[in-house]
Amino acid sequence: MITLSSYLMISLALFLSGLVVMIARKNIIAILLGIELILNSAALNFAAYTRFVNQNIEGHIVSLFIIVIAAAEAAVGLGIVIRFFQMRESIHIDDAAQLQS
Amino acid sequence: MNSTIVSYLSQFDGHKKFIAFLSEVLGFDATALIAFLVFLIASIVVVKVMALVGGMGTYAERKISADIQMRQGPNRVGPFGLLQFLADGVKMIMKEDVLPKNADKLLFTIAPLMALVGVFGSLAVVPFSSGFILTDLNVGVFYLIGVSSLVGVAIFLGGYSSNSKWSMLGGMRGASQIISYEVPVTLSILAIVILAGGLSFSTLVNAQGGLPHQWYVLHNPFTFIGFFVFFIGALAETNRAPFDLPEAESELVSGYHTEYTGMRFGFFALAEYIEVFVVCGVAVAAFLGGYKVPFDLGTGDFLVNTLHLPPIIGKNIGQFLQIGSFVTKTLLLYYVVIWIRWTFPRLRVDHLMTLCWKYLTPIALFNLVGCAVWLYAFDGHSIWELFSQMTAGSHGGGH
Amino acid sequence: MFDNILFLLSASLTVVGAFSVVLTKNLMHSCVYLLAALFGMAGLYATLGADFLAATQLVVYVGGVVILMLFAVMLTGGDQDKENKFGITKVPAMGNTKTFIAGGISALVIALVILRLVANIAKQNPQGDLPNYMSTVVEIGTKLVTDHVLAFEISSVLLLGALVGAAVIARPARGDDQ
Repeated sequence: MITLSSYLMISLALFLSGLVVMIARKNIIAILLGIELILNSAALNFAAYTRFVNQNIEGHIVSLFIIVIAAAEAAVGLGIVIRFFQMRESIHIDDAAQLQS
Repeated sequence: MNSTIVSYLSQFDGHKKFIAFLSEVLGFDATALIAFLVFLIASIVVVKVMALVGGMGTYAERKISADIQMRQGPNRVGPFGLLQFLADGVKMIMKEDVLPKNADKLLFTIAPLMALVGVFGSLAVVPFSSGFILTDLNVGVFYLIGVSSLVGVAIFLGGYSSNSKWSMLGGMRGASQIISYEVPVTLSILAIVILAGGLSFSTLVNAQGGLPHQWYVLHNPFTFIGFFVFFIGALAETNRAPFDLPEAESELVSGYHTEYTGMRFGFFALAEYIEVFVVCGVAVAAFLGGYKVPFDLGTGDFLVNTLHLPPIIGKNIGQFLQIGSFVTKTLLLYYVVIWIRWTFPRLRVDHLMTLCWKYLTPIALFNLVGCAVWLYAFDGHSIWELFSQMTAGSHGGGH
Repeated sequence: MFDNILFLLSASLTVVGAFSVVLTKNLMHSCVYLLAALFGMAGLYATLGADFLAATQLVVYVGGVVILMLFAVMLTGGDQDKENKFGITKVPAMGNTKTFIAGGISALVIALVILRLVANIAKQNPQGDLPNYMSTVVEIGTKLVTDHVLAFEISSVLLLGALVGAAVIARPARGDDQ
């Protein structure tokens, strides 16, 4: 039987994976992967509540905006990563310890 | 929700009777089971036929190129060399399956499969006729764009995992080319979506008619340009010449599939030829009238009324006419694609990107805005309707 | 019944993909597993009747974000030095046992909190009859240009800003390469 809580559990699993990735990895791109997972878990929650609780479409629209923001975030984040790599020859997060080059 | 092949079948009496009979025998409601079986059979048929089309594509490519270069082409296996693709397939299966020593085993294995999945997944929404469409998703255009971009990922992974310079460069070129050209292609389809007022392929097709002046390509000047933008972008997206930079055999040995042998290489080749068919099908559905047959022969009403056939037979004959119309136009475009390949020289990489970002994308954006303005200003009438109204209006004024 | 099968398939694809992103040691594989997880998410949206969301997920993630990630991996590969510029030994880029224990413990704490909340939700909302699937495209389109038009416009400006910003940031500074 598929209920709201099964979707919430999947969303929880996604969120926790993203969290562990963000904390455990020291590679900036891997951390961005974790952020994508977390954003997706939030979007899934909105869509699930739309289906099971109030049936209006607002949740879908919020999910849509989340996807848009995730795309923008990925583009800017990866741009920063590439620039950072050009400056420091590294994408280790601990190397990003200075505010000015 | 969506009209599918099952919903087409379920309008006949025999289908209902069969379900009732089966439900009685099995003791439960067999509607879902029959729907599943129909989908299964239809998908298998589509995949098999498309694999055949892909195989014949390689034959057609060689034969047409031979014709253009005044050679004979394959002519040994079967009549006119028609069975050449079977011989090629057998050769590919028998070949040794080499896995390079330093290759990334997982990615090397799944990359060809991913390419096939992307292409076969996009076949689900290609409208072969008004009844024979696997599923007429109401977000069909979007779905097709999304699923077919799996091919780009596959090419990139194939290039990366081979651990070879040529593959690497080919893969990167392929991925950047595919995601760049997705922009003008999507924008020029969106212009049609605005005019038709729906994202499903049946909406796109049903807004057109059977005769050329009712097609979207001749609807207004913007769609006319849009068709060519779409076609050029589609050529680039399927990595066909003159945009076959990812596998440019004179610079990169053969690009992303340099290290692939045997059936894995066969999968890439098959995916490419089927993708050409899918892209041509989309061009036909969006711009060239899709499965519409002239004079409304496709609905079968005309046959039923004149020849006094029973409606069920008339309808099915109409379906076959529709499939014929769709496939004929698609294969004509397929011929044009091959013709272009053997006529034009290959572009340079920077020219490729310049063409995409400095020419095609602005033109596609301009078309999108132009179509929206046209829809607003002329209420969606085509240029021919406006002409006929104008002449009718001037006649009316004369009286 | 087919809904359940589709749900199970996409849910297992999502969860297995997400866990593999955590467990694998290879960044490239990690990206591919992320692709699997996002594909599964599209399936989950489909089981929720959110057809437009599912298609958007496919277009944005499969065609855009994942390829961007793969490109970034490709352009920035080769981080070999074990020490940073102060001579301190760095944690390996893909993490070691210590970092995974830290991540695991924080995940455990948050999981307990969230499970507590979800338990209440599961008790409070007994599931009634669900409405049939409907096409959401028209409704989403209408809402986007009426009720949510401000957010829509702002997000378009955001996307434009992100596009220009990413291009400006990633380009080498003037004079670097001449």
